[in-house]
Amino acid sequence: MRRRLRRALPKALSAAFMAALYVFLFAPLVVVAGASLAGGARPYVSFPPDRLSLEWYARIPSRYLETIGVSLLLAASTALCATLLAVPAALGLVRGRFFGREAVALLLRAPLQVPFVVVGIAFLQLYYMMGAAIGINPRGHFVGLLLGHVFLTTPYALGTVTAVLHRFNPRLEEAARMLGATPWRTFWRVTLPLVMPGVYAGTLYAFIVSFGEVPVALFLTGSSFTTFPVEMFGALQFDFDPSLLAVSTLMLIVSMAIIVLFQRMIGVDALARAIAGRDS
Amino acid sequence: MKPRWGWFVMPCLVVTGTLLFASQAVFLRISFYRDRSFGRVASDLTLDNYRRVLGDPFYLHSLALTAEVALLVLACSLVVGYPAAYILARMRGPWVGVLLGAMIASALVAEVIKVLGLVVIFSADGVLNRGLRALGLIDAPLSLLGTVPGVVVGLLHFTLGFVILLLFGVIQTIPRSLEEAARVHGATRLRALWRVVLPLSLPGVIAGGLVVFNLSMGAFTAAALLGGGRVLTMPVLIERTMMLETRYAIAACAAAVLMGSVLIANVATSLVLGRRRLGAVA
Repeated sequence: MRRRLRRALPKALSAAFMAALYVFLFAPLVVVAGASLAGGARPYVSFPPDRLSLEWYARIPSRYLETIGVSLLLAASTALCATLLAVPAALGLVRGRFFGREAVALLLRAPLQVPFVVVGIAFLQLYYMMGAAIGINPRGHFVGLLLGHVFLTTPYALGTVTAVLHRFNPRLEEAARMLGATPWRTFWRVTLPLVMPGVYAGTLYAFIVSFGEVPVALFLTGSSFTTFPVEMFGALQFDFDPSLLAVSTLMLIVSMAIIVLFQRMIGVDALARAIAGRDS
Repeated sequence: MKPRWGWFVMPCLVVTGTLLFASQAVFLRISFYRDRSFGRVASDLTLDNYRRVLGDPFYLHSLALTAEVALLVLACSLVVGYPAAYILARMRGPWVGVLLGAMIASALVAEVIKVLGLVVIFSADGVLNRGLRALGLIDAPLSLLGTVPGVVVGLLHFTLGFVILLLFGVIQTIPRSLEEAARVHGATRLRALWRVVLPLSLPGVIAGGLVVFNLSMGAFTAAALLGGGRVLTMPVLIERTMMLETRYAIAACAAAVLMGSVLIANVATSLVLGRRRLGAVA
């Protein structure tokens, strides 16, 4: 009896602990989605909702839907650019043998050490200076924000790809070469497929950081061009409206769909390991 | 012929290097300028801003508050995150994938959405207050909005997922057989965890801790929204000085001080711990 208890107790304790943790982590998301269904004329939030209605979904200002479009386009472009920069760089860092490799690795990871607010300020000042010096000020334009986000997210993608490359077994490539494959063919048919989980994880990482990021975008967007998180940030600070719950739920659904898609593509375990290995 | 892999670094090096040096040079230079009204700066170089930021109790208090928040978040993240990562890493069965997938999803959801949910939960007639009142724990509504604990909870929603995934990756690489060996020799489960798993995962704990600390020192969104203008950490203060007061030079200087503090904390940690051969920090 006592022995059985001693065996069951840790299990029960850890199950309770995990349950509490997941409730803590998911409570805000459940509350947002739940409260968005309340509807009603008063700007009054209730959870659990007294009644169910999609009223607040119909009242979403078109401005918000436009900013979701901008954010999706920006995040996709950022993810593409960051991946295209990070994959070759990771290959170069892991396989290259050149002078100053450690220093280059340190420099490419440096953006991770700069607080986001500081990145925002620094890019804003850089853009002001460019405007004064050569008459091109990318602030408030898509390109300006894209540059900032690519700078911000490339190290994340670099981290996930590097982590996978470090675990890579070079014998597989040797085997392909011995069996007569050309270097190109080896790269396309052996190296790349094995590195792909890291590439996808990096792409997802870059996408998600760009999709949800406030402090840099806050400085670099203008009145005519803004992203969803920045619009939400302003609304939460100055004019709260229940339709924010509805639009956030839509955004939540879009994010979840993208995350689940990537989990299906490379497997949950590989994705977790790639995200975890971003700093190694 | 062997491929020259080294050259593959070039595109990334050019883009990141150019943007890093250009932006940092411009903003660090402006931090030595003098603010004039309406967002203009005088371009004579002076140390006045640094003297003011480092001599003014207002900024020093903000820096101390930022560090306090970051250390609280760090402590909570590790205390909650380590057992969670351990349980996930040692779990078997179909639930692992589900729990891990949910953890990834929760870590990657945009902060503004989590913060919106927390605002609803924390509000005077929100879920938290009604629940606590129903349990008879409080009489008057408890407000976490605009307080340090509120900001810490908000930041935990941001950092916990990443810490847990990072530690999960570390603990997964420690063979179960080591623990089993300790158990066979008479160690209890907790003792095996404390004397075998924890020491082996220490480099990962330190790396994860630094990531959390850095993220928290620079955290803006949750601090600004849940702090409600009453918890003025450095990132919040910097944004206000820049956007509301348009004092660019002093904002740039405060940003430089924040970045310098974070760098010093990181270098000091790796020096101190590096000497003790815990290694693999940076």
